[in-house]
Amino acid sequence: MSAVKNSASGPKPARGPLGRLWHAIWADWDLMQLAISVLLVVAIGFAPLVIRSPYYLGILILAVLYGYVGISWNIVAGFAGQLLIAHIIFIALGAYTTVVLYTRFNIMPWIGIPASGVVAAGLGLVIALITLRYGLKADYFALFTIALMVALKTLFLKWEFVGAAVGMGLRLNEPSWEKMIFSTKEPYLYIGLALLLAGILVQFWIYRSKLGKYFLALREDEAAAAALGVNTSLYKTLALLIGSAMGGIGGGYYMMYVTFVEPPQVFDLGLNVELVLAAPIIGGLGSLLGPVLGALINKPLAELIRGTLTAGRSGTTLIVYGAFLVASILFMPRGITGLIQDGYLRLKRRLVPEREEEVRRDIA
Amino acid sequence: MTLLEVQGIVKQFGGLTAVNDFSLSLDRGDIVGLIGPNGAGKTTAFNVIAGFYRPNSGRVRFGGRDITGLRPDQICKLGLARTFQVVRPFGALSVLENVMIGAYARTNDKATAKAKAEEALEALGMTGLAERAARDLPIAGRKRLEIARALATEPQLLLLDETMAGLRSAETDEVIEMVRKLSQRGIAILLVEHVMKVVMSLAQRIVVLHHGEKIAEGQPSEIVRDRQVIDAYLGEVESDAAR
Repeated sequence: MSAVKNSASGPKPARGPLGRLWHAIWADWDLMQLAISVLLVVAIGFAPLVIRSPYYLGILILAVLYGYVGISWNIVAGFAGQLLIAHIIFIALGAYTTVVLYTRFNIMPWIGIPASGVVAAGLGLVIALITLRYGLKADYFALFTIALMVALKTLFLKWEFVGAAVGMGLRLNEPSWEKMIFSTKEPYLYIGLALLLAGILVQFWIYRSKLGKYFLALREDEAAAAALGVNTSLYKTLALLIGSAMGGIGGGYYMMYVTFVEPPQVFDLGLNVELVLAAPIIGGLGSLLGPVLGALINKPLAELIRGTLTAGRSGTTLIVYGAFLVASILFMPRGITGLIQDGYLRLKRRLVPEREEEVRRDIA
Repeated sequence: MTLLEVQGIVKQFGGLTAVNDFSLSLDRGDIVGLIGPNGAGKTTAFNVIAGFYRPNSGRVRFGGRDITGLRPDQICKLGLARTFQVVRPFGALSVLENVMIGAYARTNDKATAKAKAEEALEALGMTGLAERAARDLPIAGRKRLEIARALATEPQLLLLDETMAGLRSAETDEVIEMVRKLSQRGIAILLVEHVMKVVMSLAQRIVVLHHGEKIAEGQPSEIVRDRQVIDAYLGEVESDAAR
């Protein structure tokens, strides 16, 4: 390790602080991904200077939300390898928690959204306990989450307190920061970006820590992980708790932005694919950059397809969008981040040719 | 003091008795070989000792403590580590990260885990491979990685399940030397092995399993002359070698 690192950072020792920072980032793919993610967040932050149309800003806001929610799913499915297919249940529960607290108890979303995270984590804990108790793994685990989504949809359709089949909406009079209700799009964008940035940092911290390495070990080989001292039940539960809490928070924010929620809208596999699964899959599941990059491609693309094709036969949108998802899974199994990483490694090898030779010598 | 004490363990799968009334004891610094024909129950015995299977009856004591029924991760933390016969690297992770996951059994600190992992890699002569993806390693490298990972958990007892199978002769000699060094550091070793050269040159004591039962136990020189062992197993090895 040290030998390889030294040779990579050897040639030009004299640099300014910025040069050293760049060099540290360049040498480390994780840091590269973090840097690109943060740059994207900053770039989106400046977008309102160029993009004035509320329609396009709206797409950007949802892309930012998709990126954040994508990160929450990436930690459970991409890092820990848990096939939590119907992650949308946490977003749905978060949305309902926020709107119920706001309309029924007059609790502001600044408290309601974190509370949504807690409620969603409660559901995450219940799922963890049930699936561990009955040993549901992989595809059975996935089916369990889908079944739970259907059950919750039925429950919410009948439950008068949360609006039953009518759903629940926000009273939109008197916009204010206190109520997190705005007449323009920009404040929503910046709140979303703050959420996304927090998600990016949390994801990075997890990935680099013991917690993240244990998650990866679970994904790669559960038995081997157990043999090396990983308490597999505990770490599966932790992954679910983190993913569901983050998802619930995202759901609360989603509620404030879309202002209305009803059971068929949020307990829905179609929305689940678009809102949760697509970004990490297109971007690269299990990578740090994947959810952010995937969301920035997925949401505008989905809108574009919807915008251009809806005029024709209905359903064309879904066929084209679905075909795109399938194609990206087939031709980019590691997502766009995988392609970027390959390019990065090739470039790095060309710039530091002695590194490869050294490794080859070690193998021989 | 007895480090590992296996007392009459029985493991049945449905109607099949894989391990029957198997006992074994092992002290600090011992190297014990567990041999026997395919299907004799060696790996099953390993799985019971390391907590992957719960025995139908019998007890396993480690360091004076009853560990029967504990989970594998708990047993690992008590100082009993194992490797797998079919290697199970975390393929997408680097060699260093693989070993760090072992080292994290003893620490929450990244820098400490990394230092310990580098130490373990050095002991296995893998320092130069640290940054490689584990899935890119050839089989000899993967086998070493199994040992390095287990070593990083700082075990008092290491269970090695056919670590030398599939290695070339020179590679085997290297690994034998490494295992011997580990033993000199005070780590007790229980090894399942088909390669007789390995067992004979490493083990101070050999236990022979056949149809799930212990049919012999003794020094290597006694075992090779044991009529029952020759009939059940060693004859088979000679025919293997002739092939």
